[in-house]
Amino acid sequence: MTTTAGALADRLRHLLGPDRLLEGDLARNLYSHDGSIVGGDCGMVALPETTEEVAACMRMAHEAGVDVVPRGSGTGLTGGAVPLEGGLVISLARMRAMGEVDIANSCMWVQPGVLNLDVSMAIAHLGLHYAPDPSSQQACSIGGNVGTNAGGPHCLAYGVTVQHVLGVEMVRPDGEVVVLGGEAPDPPGYDLRGVVVGAEGTVGVVTRVLLRLTPLPPDVRTMLLDFLSVSDASAVVQAIIAAGVIPAALEMMDRNMTLAVEEFVHAGLPTDAAALLLVEVDGTPAEVQVFTEVVERVAREHGVRTVRVAQDEEERALLWKARKTAFGAVARVKPSYYLHDCVVPRTRLVEIMEAIGEITARENVMCLNVFHAGDGNLHPIIALDRSDPDETERAMRAGDQIVRACVAMGGTLSGEHGIGVEKRDYMPLVFDHDDLEAQACVRRAFDPDGRMNPDKVLPTGTRCGEVGLADTQVPEGTWI
Amino acid sequence: MDLTPADRDELAGMLRAATADGRVLDIRGGGLHSRRGRPFAADDLIHVGGLDRVVDYVPEDMTITVEGGVTVGEVLRLAGERGQGWPQAPSQPGATVGGVLAAAAGGRRRLRFGPVRDSLLEVVVATGDGRIVKGGGRTVKSVTGYDLPRLLTGSLGTLGVIVQATLRLWPLPMAERWFAAHGASDDMLALAGDLLGRLHRPTAVIAGPGSLHVCLTGVPDDVVAPAGMHDADEPTGVGTHAAAPGGGVVEAGVPPAALPDLARRLAADGRGYEAWMGTGICRVAVSAPEDVHAVRDLAMLHHGHAQVIDGDDALRTDPFGPVPAGADIMRRIRASFDPAGILCPGRFAAAEAVPA
Repeated sequence: MTTTAGALADRLRHLLGPDRLLEGDLARNLYSHDGSIVGGDCGMVALPETTEEVAACMRMAHEAGVDVVPRGSGTGLTGGAVPLEGGLVISLARMRAMGEVDIANSCMWVQPGVLNLDVSMAIAHLGLHYAPDPSSQQACSIGGNVGTNAGGPHCLAYGVTVQHVLGVEMVRPDGEVVVLGGEAPDPPGYDLRGVVVGAEGTVGVVTRVLLRLTPLPPDVRTMLLDFLSVSDASAVVQAIIAAGVIPAALEMMDRNMTLAVEEFVHAGLPTDAAALLLVEVDGTPAEVQVFTEVVERVAREHGVRTVRVAQDEEERALLWKARKTAFGAVARVKPSYYLHDCVVPRTRLVEIMEAIGEITARENVMCLNVFHAGDGNLHPIIALDRSDPDETERAMRAGDQIVRACVAMGGTLSGEHGIGVEKRDYMPLVFDHDDLEAQACVRRAFDPDGRMNPDKVLPTGTRCGEVGLADTQVPEGTWI
Repeated sequence: MDLTPADRDELAGMLRAATADGRVLDIRGGGLHSRRGRPFAADDLIHVGGLDRVVDYVPEDMTITVEGGVTVGEVLRLAGERGQGWPQAPSQPGATVGGVLAAAAGGRRRLRFGPVRDSLLEVVVATGDGRIVKGGGRTVKSVTGYDLPRLLTGSLGTLGVIVQATLRLWPLPMAERWFAAHGASDDMLALAGDLLGRLHRPTAVIAGPGSLHVCLTGVPDDVVAPAGMHDADEPTGVGTHAAAPGGGVVEAGVPPAALPDLARRLAADGRGYEAWMGTGICRVAVSAPEDVHAVRDLAMLHHGHAQVIDGDDALRTDPFGPVPAGADIMRRIRASFDPAGILCPGRFAAAEAVPA
């Protein structure tokens, strides 16, 4: 540890006590990883419990000139929470307080360490829920969701995290606390709240989040459709939406995935089907009735084999359990997995599924697909044993080709997991030099010293450059 | 001088030249959202009407990519032919897509469909110094990089000229109808509260002095007149007031639950207003600078804010009120997009002088 870092550690230990500053090898190793296969180098880990403590940590890091990496539950899949070159990890895991539910305004302030699912559980008795529902919702935190602008199956109809975050309290890199957005809509000036959400911890540390709460729909119907070809299933996804129905969720699972999940969850999934679609429609009873008829009609026109409608809440929960434990079920096949979450326009689904099949066959890796078909957000999971260097190499190659295929079809790098380290160097596939430089300038506007989660999101070497140097010249009496 | 670029390259050249010469520019689309922010003296006016190409419309993906000068009416016409719509748009067919986005001027269906910034997937902007910068992505879901589309939405031309936008479209509803009721303002607000509690996702609930308008969207069985209401057209609201000499409109934003109280106070003061119940937005007719401050004071009582969204120069001496949090961040962002400060300088005026 350098003298600077040592001095910072002394100050942080004094602030937080020895129990809440982790410096041992075990902790540093643990915090050098997240849900991805990226490994890093962690200097020390602070576990603050209040906004004031986070602000104090940030001031100290600022004074010491030490890099800071904010961390939620560490379930991210792109290395976004992995410190790459020492520095201070600020874990928000101990900040788990929920404020009072503001029923009249349908919102609630929560601390960033609160787990996603705990929010919906805490407010269900009020007829409300928090709409974004990543598959990892039992483990992932609201702060992490804000960092990655997380999605989930129900984002098809309800929108992603940024549409459900009304405001954030954030500690800036120099330790100043700022509140951006709030209960009153559209405050004057630029939408900085909208930039913070999805900035992957590169602009500050979010210490409180104002969540928009959504009424539970009066009626809901969940259907499982099974097909003998992936192409038919893909075509149905397109046809349902073309028929004017935006389901609450529209998920696809291929045969490999179905086999792994069924063995794990025993939901009665047809394991001989080439692809399953999990379709949920919600709304008023009249809407649900009409939407269900459309879905069934469209599915039959495209050769659906069976339509299983969940008969009660228990069966619905079972079908969702099958979907949401899919990533975990991969462990039954191989010890590890590698995936991308690129997005393609919905119209290219059939093509990209064929391309993924060809790529993974060519590289001789096992691929399981479970994804948000309705918005074209893929999750091709390549199962692998990382102790096998050859298989790991082939998995990496397959992943690389899948990303390039998605972009070639007019798609983009990430739908909900973020860029982190893993997709950072793919950014030039979708953005040119000027685009990336503009993004670097936005980031630098928040973090002039470049100490927040460095080397994430933007490819190495991307700089704000000469533009933006005269940064405080504004006409008299104006603030922008 | 009026500048009329025919395409983005010509526009970029004009911006580079203006940056080199230090000439201040104003930007004009349909001219419907231009009277915002503090007035400033421009050397040249850039008309974006020449950027009027529909770049790509893929009905099956429900996305449309258009240049900034394409009108709302044109987007709605094209989309409508394929059974789709842009429900976040304002009801001003002559407004340009670039203007609507630059002003974040969404429409009355916000309660169900959200603000207009939620419909912008990808944006291409010509910066003050003539760079062409793209942000976001054309897919309906993307977290690839920093969210420039949200940053540009509502930037009032101070970051760049919006040359192209990819919008997310929605299926046209199987049915949509507006309904109205008239009576004492208090009774109308009570009815609004009742409907918001009872209806599942109404599309709009708009209270005015002595009136209530409700828009319902969905399947025909659900789109029926609530008790005591009759068929009506979308309200004209307070927009027409701004057309009168000296008239203007202030948009207040307060926590949604505070809107009934705000509306009651506005009614008591005899002001014209349209309160977008459930969203926290209230548009108020104003005729003098004192009115702007009076409305802002009411909004701030409820921890809200108020900005002038239309009106003569005289009404826009203090268009935004107190400086928002993070102003230094905004300044640095602006400086990087418009290093010479030629795009609409002074538009974001402060109530108090900003410390140097």
